[in-house]
Amino acid sequence: MDNLAKHLLQRLMRRIPASMLQSTLDKWGRLTAEKRKSLDFTQSKLTITQELVALCEESELTVKHITELEMIYDAHSVELMQFKEQFKSHLSELKRNVSVKIKKHTDEAVWIRVAWGDGLSRPNHLKATYVVHYLQTPYVFVNALSSKNKPLLLQALTLSTKHQQIKAANLSGQKLTALRDLLMRQYQQVFPTKYPSPLPESDQSISKLRIEKVQAEASANRHRMAGETFGDGMLPALQSAFFQLETKFKDPTNEAMTQRDEPFICSVKFSSSNLLESLRHCASSGIASTPVTPLLSSIPLKGRNYFVITDNVPNA
Amino acid sequence: MSLLKPFSKLPDLNTANILLVENEEQFQQNLANTLVEETAVTVTVRLAKSLPLPMENDESRPRIDLVVFIINLTSDKSFESAKASLKYLVPGYFLGKVCFMATNARHASVRTGCLDALRQLAVSLHCPLLFAEDQTPEGAASSARRLLTILKVASGLVPNTTALYLSNLTRCTMPPDIDQPSFD
Repeated sequence: MDNLAKHLLQRLMRRIPASMLQSTLDKWGRLTAEKRKSLDFTQSKLTITQELVALCEESELTVKHITELEMIYDAHSVELMQFKEQFKSHLSELKRNVSVKIKKHTDEAVWIRVAWGDGLSRPNHLKATYVVHYLQTPYVFVNALSSKNKPLLLQALTLSTKHQQIKAANLSGQKLTALRDLLMRQYQQVFPTKYPSPLPESDQSISKLRIEKVQAEASANRHRMAGETFGDGMLPALQSAFFQLETKFKDPTNEAMTQRDEPFICSVKFSSSNLLESLRHCASSGIASTPVTPLLSSIPLKGRNYFVITDNVPNA
Repeated sequence: MSLLKPFSKLPDLNTANILLVENEEQFQQNLANTLVEETAVTVTVRLAKSLPLPMENDESRPRIDLVVFIINLTSDKSFESAKASLKYLVPGYFLGKVCFMATNARHASVRTGCLDALRQLAVSLHCPLLFAEDQTPEGAASSARRLLTILKVASGLVPNTTALYLSNLTRCTMPPDIDQPSFD
């Protein structure tokens, strides 16, 4: 191992805090398991550094490997540790007597459990708020948050994730995975293509040749447009959509209602075990006309399921 | 307007052509698969969602011997779509070459009066009204058998019988009024 590599390694070791050392080395994976076990992490940093340098020389690691380690440390540390510390400190500043527990899951999700208490009483663990944040995405999922504590939590989140503001996404439901998949488009997307259908198969059995769908083109068009709007395959299991209408009543045969000036307030709720699946089926079977109306297509496109519709512009 | 005409094209040898019209496009596929398994006659099946049929494939289409409207009694839309399609058939079809098939007649969510309305329609057009069970393969098989009987006659493959003769026997009639007591 040449001098440059040694120097880099020593400089890097000065940067990495002792608490993160072991996990970073594990993630790096360039040292075999026995070598890692032989490192005694209870010693002083200097001693560990010397031992590490010796191990790396044995394994004949080069500058490239050391730079790898530096990159891993940067990626690993910046997000999670900083976020954790900052969130805890911000929240404690805003409100005393809160109990916060943060845990990171394997799939890049940070779960935070907050038990609220005010200055007089202890944190109430029976009614804890859960927050899930996917690092590097601008999305936060919150469960069971009272309106009293809402601004505090939102402010702590905004500051610790280094954003400017936080706003409601108007998406709610029972299953976290469904909401996440919808928001982050983790389902099969269908993109419009100029020549959608592949070449027809040449070996059709005799009986298939005798059955022909007369309006096959129209039906294929409907399927394609439904797929483009809602996606292909398994769709995230969204369970309801809520439309709040505040529009003027429009019915030429009903004079009494149309004469009123104030808007007619009405709410429409769709619910199903898998709402997106049902909407896609409506579009592909012709029950809903295609191209799909923006009222329905906004659900997957904008990732919302609560809409307020006023006269000028839909989806306020 | 692209009307469907019964005798505007030449027939093929030992062939029968049936058109299944269904708004939901579900049961017709099972029926079609069973119908083409018939060996004595070559059966070709055309599937459509509603009439009128598109003009583009008019030349490639053979002459249609029997038009079957499959109506799901639990859905109003099904019935309305079938009624709207009727006007695209030339009156010549109603001399035994049209048949109505109703599914889900025993379902709990059938609207009252729907079955009666369908019956009225079938009676006024002198067409047979069949009832089918669409959830099991046996249901599809038995409906296919009954359709084949009518189809063979309608395509002229049964000697000494025409579709008009058969329709006199099979056409739907309104049941006598139950309110009128038959005994005193």
